[in-house]
Amino acid sequence: MRQPIARHGLHRSLMQGAITILLLAGLFGVCSTLCFADNGPKPDPAGIATGDRTSVQDAAGNALVPATPDSTSPDFAAQKKAYDDFQAQTAKEPIAMKLADSVGHVRVATNFSWTLLTGYLVLFMQAGFALLTCGLVRKKNAAHLMMLNFAAFVFALLAYYAVGYAFQFGAVAINAAPTNLGGTPTLNAFLLGHGSWGFLGGKGFFLSGPGYDAGSLCLTLFEFVFMETAGYIIVGAVCERITFWSFILCELFIGGILYPVFGCWVWGGGWMSQLGLTMHLGHGYVDFAGSTVVHAIGGFCAMALAVILGPRIGKYGPDGKPRAFPAHNIVFVVTGTFILLFGWMGFNPGSTLGATDLRISVIAMNTNLAAVSGSATALLLWYLIFKKPDVTMACNGMLAGLVAITAPCAFVSPNSAVLIGVLAGLLVCGGVLFNERILKVDDPCGAVSVHGYCGWLGAVCVGIFADGTYGSGWNGVGAANYLGQAGQGVTGLLHGDLSQFECQLLGATLCAVWAFGATYGVFWVLNKVKSMRVSPESELEGLDVPEFGMPAYPEDATASIIH
Amino acid sequence: MKRIDAVIRPERLDQVKSLLSGCEIQGATAAEVRGFGRQRGHTEMYRGTEYSVDFLPKILLTIIAADEHVQQIVDAIIKGSRTGKMGDGKIFVTPVDEAIRIRTGERGPAAL
Repeated sequence: MRQPIARHGLHRSLMQGAITILLLAGLFGVCSTLCFADNGPKPDPAGIATGDRTSVQDAAGNALVPATPDSTSPDFAAQKKAYDDFQAQTAKEPIAMKLADSVGHVRVATNFSWTLLTGYLVLFMQAGFALLTCGLVRKKNAAHLMMLNFAAFVFALLAYYAVGYAFQFGAVAINAAPTNLGGTPTLNAFLLGHGSWGFLGGKGFFLSGPGYDAGSLCLTLFEFVFMETAGYIIVGAVCERITFWSFILCELFIGGILYPVFGCWVWGGGWMSQLGLTMHLGHGYVDFAGSTVVHAIGGFCAMALAVILGPRIGKYGPDGKPRAFPAHNIVFVVTGTFILLFGWMGFNPGSTLGATDLRISVIAMNTNLAAVSGSATALLLWYLIFKKPDVTMACNGMLAGLVAITAPCAFVSPNSAVLIGVLAGLLVCGGVLFNERILKVDDPCGAVSVHGYCGWLGAVCVGIFADGTYGSGWNGVGAANYLGQAGQGVTGLLHGDLSQFECQLLGATLCAVWAFGATYGVFWVLNKVKSMRVSPESELEGLDVPEFGMPAYPEDATASIIH
Repeated sequence: MKRIDAVIRPERLDQVKSLLSGCEIQGATAAEVRGFGRQRGHTEMYRGTEYSVDFLPKILLTIIAADEHVQQIVDAIIKGSRTGKMGDGKIFVTPVDEAIRIRTGERGPAAL
């Protein structure tokens, strides 16, 4: 009896530690919410004040209502004239203005619908990841894999709700207001940094106060499902040997700190997004839907954890040569990959945060093209090298193409999308072999290669292939004209903007360093305090029964033979 | 009475069974088994790494028959399962001391 009690005691103290951290973070959040309580606009929980005449735009994104003139601006006179003319017109046409209020509300409502529905598609990617990773491992760990995916969702969301969302988007209205959703004006303070050098958001802890707002919560739903994606990615690299309790700590860390910090820098109006204005690096760091913000964060975090955990027993023979542990269910692997492809139709087109942005058709088509070219490349390359196309590598190739097109999907042409898919297909094959044979990092599902390496590639591809047809005024750069052309958007190396390429290269590499370094630091210490790895006996038996008390397939249990 | 144990290719079971239905047999038992022979399995590739399949899936077909029917049954099994390639399997014939029908308690060839 003694030993199980001791073990449970340790689990309990680990859980207590996690809960204490959460509570402290929450307290900190509530305090800062109170500190910032009365500066700025009121939240709109009912959603009746979100979307009025100020949300009305024409197809090119020009607002109906001119901005309040800025007395420090060089063209103050022109701004003031436009503003005054508009005010005079408003007084003459009150019914038109009432109509404009309705149109603005409907516009925001359209974009709400789009953002929420695409968010639900991304949510379904959970099922895809669960099936994919479960199918890729040995049968004796199938229940363990499903439980990891499930718990990733549960615990990462709790951490994101408590502090993650506020860290990531607590200052989004300052530099990157989502105007399609009404602008979320209540999220307007950095906890660390200010102006163009924000490092951490500071509003919306526990989704209360400024976070209890219809526009903000629409954004929360769409963004938490992205954070979850980073959370699932690590499962593919840590499975078959991690203890459940340390896995939960990993998920709290990703949802509460690792993901939101980098997310704030790029999507929350933080310093990386502003590099175009502050350092004249293109349009700042641009990652449309998260090749780095989501996938490389997950991929390199997974790599650090896989290094700390070490390879599975028997993965490398006494001669140091890798051995294969074949997938136990290819049907799951392929079904899971298709579900992920389907979910990606929300991931990328949804990242416009609005159906009124008609670029969504280009984005959706680019996403599919990169998926098939990535898959075809991996499949053919494998066929050439190893004489048989490997189903799991064909699936990895499709995911690699998807990951790599995620950052550039809105900024490139369909031809570039095909090319990006090809590059990703090559990189993922090389990455899998490199990790397995040279680095000897045991990554059962190829998560590091698919999400880490190809995520990095995707962000760099923005700096190479972006053709300038979309993203005029992105991150506040070049709204009037860019590279001497009116309406020129985000532009890559091949279309004449070297600084964008530099920014992408540095930013993507920083992402890898941050995700790997922060994870390695935190969990190296944790692993010294208490090993994150299951006992060798449990590992050899398969984790289903030792960790969760039940096998995935009950007909395998000896008990069912006699009953 | 003799016991015939035949280790055959799984995909040949249907053909063997249909040929056996023309023989004097009262029953047969088939089991899914795994094993290796002279080739000692073979190797496959998974994600670029070779792995060996040591035990290949086979069917173990067991038939108990009266002595005079053994040759006919063995011929049917060979006809149904031979492909001429490695891995066709083997047939073993051994004597059986006694057979008992559980329902009635009959003994000997009558119990088959």
